[in-house]
Amino acid sequence: MSDTVNSNRQTLEARQVSVRFEGLTAVDTVEETLHQGEILGLIGPNGAGKTTLVNAMTGFQAPSSGDVLLSGKVISKLTPHGIRRRGIARTFQAGRLFREMPVSENVEVAAVSLGYSRRKAHAHAMELLNWLGLDDRADVPAGILPYTDERRVGIARALAMRPQFVLLDEPAAGMSDLECDDIMQVVREIPERFGCGVLLIEHNMRVIMGVCARIHVLDSGKTIARGTPTEVQNDPVVINAYLGHS
Amino acid sequence: MIEANTPLLRLLRTYWPLVMLSLGLLIIVAIVDSSGDVILAQTLIEGLVRIVIVAALYLFIGNSGIISFGHIGFVMIGAYATAWQTCCPYTREMFMPGLPVYLLNNSHHFVLAIFLGGLLAAVVALISGYAIMRLSGIAASIGTFALMMVFYSIYLRWSTWTSGASSVIGLPTTTTPWVGYAYAVVAIVGAFLYSRSKWGLALRSSRDDEVAAKAAGVNVFGQRLLAFVVSAFFCGMAGGLFGHFLGMLTVDSFGLGMTFITLSMLVLGGMQSLTGAVVGVVVLSFLIDILRRLENGMVSGLNLPTSSAEVFVGIVIILILMFRQSGITGNQEVYWPFKGDVSASSAMKRQS
Repeated sequence: MSDTVNSNRQTLEARQVSVRFEGLTAVDTVEETLHQGEILGLIGPNGAGKTTLVNAMTGFQAPSSGDVLLSGKVISKLTPHGIRRRGIARTFQAGRLFREMPVSENVEVAAVSLGYSRRKAHAHAMELLNWLGLDDRADVPAGILPYTDERRVGIARALAMRPQFVLLDEPAAGMSDLECDDIMQVVREIPERFGCGVLLIEHNMRVIMGVCARIHVLDSGKTIARGTPTEVQNDPVVINAYLGHS
Repeated sequence: MIEANTPLLRLLRTYWPLVMLSLGLLIIVAIVDSSGDVILAQTLIEGLVRIVIVAALYLFIGNSGIISFGHIGFVMIGAYATAWQTCCPYTREMFMPGLPVYLLNNSHHFVLAIFLGGLLAAVVALISGYAIMRLSGIAASIGTFALMMVFYSIYLRWSTWTSGASSVIGLPTTTTPWVGYAYAVVAIVGAFLYSRSKWGLALRSSRDDEVAAKAAGVNVFGQRLLAFVVSAFFCGMAGGLFGHFLGMLTVDSFGLGMTFITLSMLVLGGMQSLTGAVVGVVVLSFLIDILRRLENGMVSGLNLPTSSAEVFVGIVIILILMFRQSGITGNQEVYWPFKGDVSASSAMKRQS
């Protein structure tokens, strides 16, 4: 994990991506390019289409129109596991750990699926768990973890085998300020340690403002603002979207 | 107490369930074999064949979480494929006149025939699984059930190859207790190694959470198909053993009855544990043996009606599902009894 990244020019691009369900446009012609090494915040009121966009970018939801491109190559026709193998990983809001399996195996699964032997995968998993301070929990069934640890294991699983991009879906939801600080520290370290680009969905503005250099705001599936944390915070359209919904 | 920190002890600990299961069965086989009880010996051989089947069921069901009602179809395919190669060389033309000339005129050694029977079942599983393994949950289970009925109906009407509704008789009774034991150990080793492999790990992750497994890079369809094919291979071999235990084959014996009894054994022992598969077979075979003896009036004054065993098994399974879904073994493997155990189960105890 200590060797450096060979190229910083990889990009993950949503090009005019729309996702329509019957009668509802969940994501409406969204454009964004995520670069390796950066942390991009994706925010918006509930139902804005943030998770749907992540689903579209990771193969879980085929875009109704538009394309998802990895360094210029269209990947939106690939299966979720195919996209993971090309180095785009994600976490889930609900954690979705393999509850009956030990914590270490939760991370090993990703490593063996991406080509490691079980022995190498175990060593790799322990390295990641060690970084997240979970190595003493390695043999515990994932189902009994408190949710703060659950999120960390989810992050470790996503970071197995050094993906180029990782999409984190509300890793700090429901956490106290103190717990948020820990997660922020982890998210901040990801680009430095793994060289990957991070897309962070989060409702907690403190977390978003604390770690993101750039923010993309969605409302009702449409992009309503993009910019630095300060720009977005002072944008009247953004303020209106949040107040209007709450 | 021994600390498991030398390489040899660590190896022993890793394969401890294998050692214990093989030794346990060895003792049972040795005792029954020397007892001279003919009925018990029949129960034993049938039990050993069923261990092959139930270990294969565990391999697929335990790791994928998909209940399969179709595997007895693979047992049947293996059984007839083996019979085509070994059965009654002088009357084969009478029972199965539609066989190709090569099969009518040539016989294979028992071991090769069993292997090829397993291989045919695996090929059929590969083709049918290519469709069914795309399904998940209850749809996949019903798909396997439909598959079983397809095989059953085809074999029942395919009389030039299977003798149809009547029996194929005259198979050499090659499946002795020790032959059964050898194949039971092969199946146990196969299921154990598969479960420990990267493929077993990947498939179990899809059992816990299919969406998360895909996000972790697991090709869920591919992993299910692999397990389906491997387990069908063992089921096919079990079919060959079964035919050479009874000395005859009828399509009728590979239906719901055998499906029910083998699934019951897996459920009783614990669906997610290989130890459970073996324990389930041993316990249920033993109980059924006792009930059959009572049905036959072995104890005077206690004449149970026929089919009491089936009723009893049905009730036991309902009770297990109501009160202990993880079965007798609680879905655990045989414990390493010495110090230095850092397995998940002991860690769980420390946590709670």
